[in-house]
Amino acid sequence: MKQYLAIIAMDIRLALRLRAVIFFNYLFPLIFFFTFAAFMGRNTEQMAYVVRMSVTLGVLGSGFFGAGIRAIQERELGILRRYKVTPITPVPLLVGSMVTGWLIFLPYIIVLLYMARYLYHMPLPAHMLGLLVFISLALIAFRALGLVIAAVANNMQEGQILVQLFYFPLLLLGGATVPEDFFHGAMKTIHNFVPSTYLVQGMTSMMKEGTGLLQNGAPVLAMVITALAGGLIAMKLFRWEKEEKIRASAKWWVPVALLPFIVMGIWKSFYS
Amino acid sequence: MTEQPVIYVQQLQKRYDKVEAVKGIDFQVAQGEVFGLLGPNGAGKTSTIEILEGLRPRTGGDARVLGFDPDRQKQQLKDRIGVCLQATNLPAKIRVQEALELFGSFYSRSVSAERLLNRLQLWEKRAAYYETLSGGQKQRLALALALVNDPQLLFLDEPTTGLDPQIRLEIHGLIEEMKAEKRTVVLTTHYIEEAERLCDRVAIIDAGKIVAIGTPRELQQKSAERSRIDIVCGQPMNAAALPQWPDALESKLGEDGKSLTVYSSRPARTLFEIMKWLDQQGMQLEDLHLKRPTLEDVFVELTGKKLRD
Repeated sequence: MKQYLAIIAMDIRLALRLRAVIFFNYLFPLIFFFTFAAFMGRNTEQMAYVVRMSVTLGVLGSGFFGAGIRAIQERELGILRRYKVTPITPVPLLVGSMVTGWLIFLPYIIVLLYMARYLYHMPLPAHMLGLLVFISLALIAFRALGLVIAAVANNMQEGQILVQLFYFPLLLLGGATVPEDFFHGAMKTIHNFVPSTYLVQGMTSMMKEGTGLLQNGAPVLAMVITALAGGLIAMKLFRWEKEEKIRASAKWWVPVALLPFIVMGIWKSFYS
Repeated sequence: MTEQPVIYVQQLQKRYDKVEAVKGIDFQVAQGEVFGLLGPNGAGKTSTIEILEGLRPRTGGDARVLGFDPDRQKQQLKDRIGVCLQATNLPAKIRVQEALELFGSFYSRSVSAERLLNRLQLWEKRAAYYETLSGGQKQRLALALALVNDPQLLFLDEPTTGLDPQIRLEIHGLIEEMKAEKRTVVLTTHYIEEAERLCDRVAIIDAGKIVAIGTPRELQQKSAERSRIDIVCGQPMNAAALPQWPDALESKLGEDGKSLTVYSSRPARTLFEIMKWLDQQGMQLEDLHLKRPTLEDVFVELTGKKLRD
């Protein structure tokens, strides 16, 4: 436990000392929030859309850049190698990354919801705690995906490509930026397979219809399974040094981590 | 070695795909000994040391470190040893004291950060970010991190490579302190003077094999005992008139005829005979040097390579 607490405390301090972390975790989503709120802030329903967009932007950024790219960077710089000579296993480092990401991100969500409430008169969700738990689960799930990408990428260049391959489609096709109503035919099918779709759908249901966690069983379950599967795969494939190359076949673990969303995509596209 | 060795290595092998980095080496290190692995880049020093630290699995052979198998008891072993890597890097924004406290929390026992900061002369820099430290300060911090669990066995992988001579001397002083504290130290280096100054015993390693092992003095004596005598006279000598001095292995007269180099297995006796001959010839001696073989000479003789090749 001593190791976990020390790593989490250190990770938080390091994160808050980096301008990039402050910018991408707080300022960048806030710029989006205020820019869109300036156009859409008069309509509470549209304001909820702006909040969902800002949250999704933050969750995906925290997962792919905050967890994924940072893990690759630490491996490339030889920082993880120094940890390797100590008696710790990868578990405290991965848990530390999850908890730090969550502790840094959650205050932003709370501030965002209250700003929407008091500055733009958006009603708070009926199940505020449920919404926060759901966003927390999503954050952990997407950070786990980021760590899986970090584990299978052999270098920063490969990592950047993989992250961009996930980040932009998830941002554009999940319904957070381009509304779900715009997707028809093949695009609708693709939309059903995109992991961020379930984050947006869960939030929409909780903010618009006042539902709680129990009414959103499928998205909640998808996030929980992804968090667990992603965490386990990231641990299994964890590498301390850039010299430890991974087999090309190991990249198939990425779709394994995405299995819950693939199952949900099939179910929504072909059976519902 | 009467007591149980701290490190026991037998027929150790390491292979990376088609490259055989370590080709079946044997050695033992006793409690309190400073043991050096000396060799050029790519000789297999780092592979050997990293197997013993539990960082890489061995391909063959046997190894025991503090009674632990480095392949199967990694965590227990890592908890007891201190490691200074060839290159250490830490997060740019971590402070010196924070780094010591963080790494100290990973071990079952740890030394106070304050004590280490004072000992490694980093107290003034305790609040500095890692990115602002000089090369020497970073290396002192790397050594402090290696000592954070108060280990009885330390692995120092080329601890002074790339540092300027003054900082190198500082690090040598620290290693001598560790030696005085009776800690066992395994040191890899390609600096001869480092091995000669710090090590109780040295293994010369080349192309994955140990080519010689012993105290620096033993190794120097093992070399074909070619001490070198350099003489400069006031008048030229006649090459044809040079006698075969006792125990002289080879004689070379310089182009000017005034300088003479003689290699000898018993330099005192050879030198005495040379002096006698010069006196008989009425030659005036202007300069004289006697050079014992160094580890570098031994290395070149055994491997046919320079250490920094």
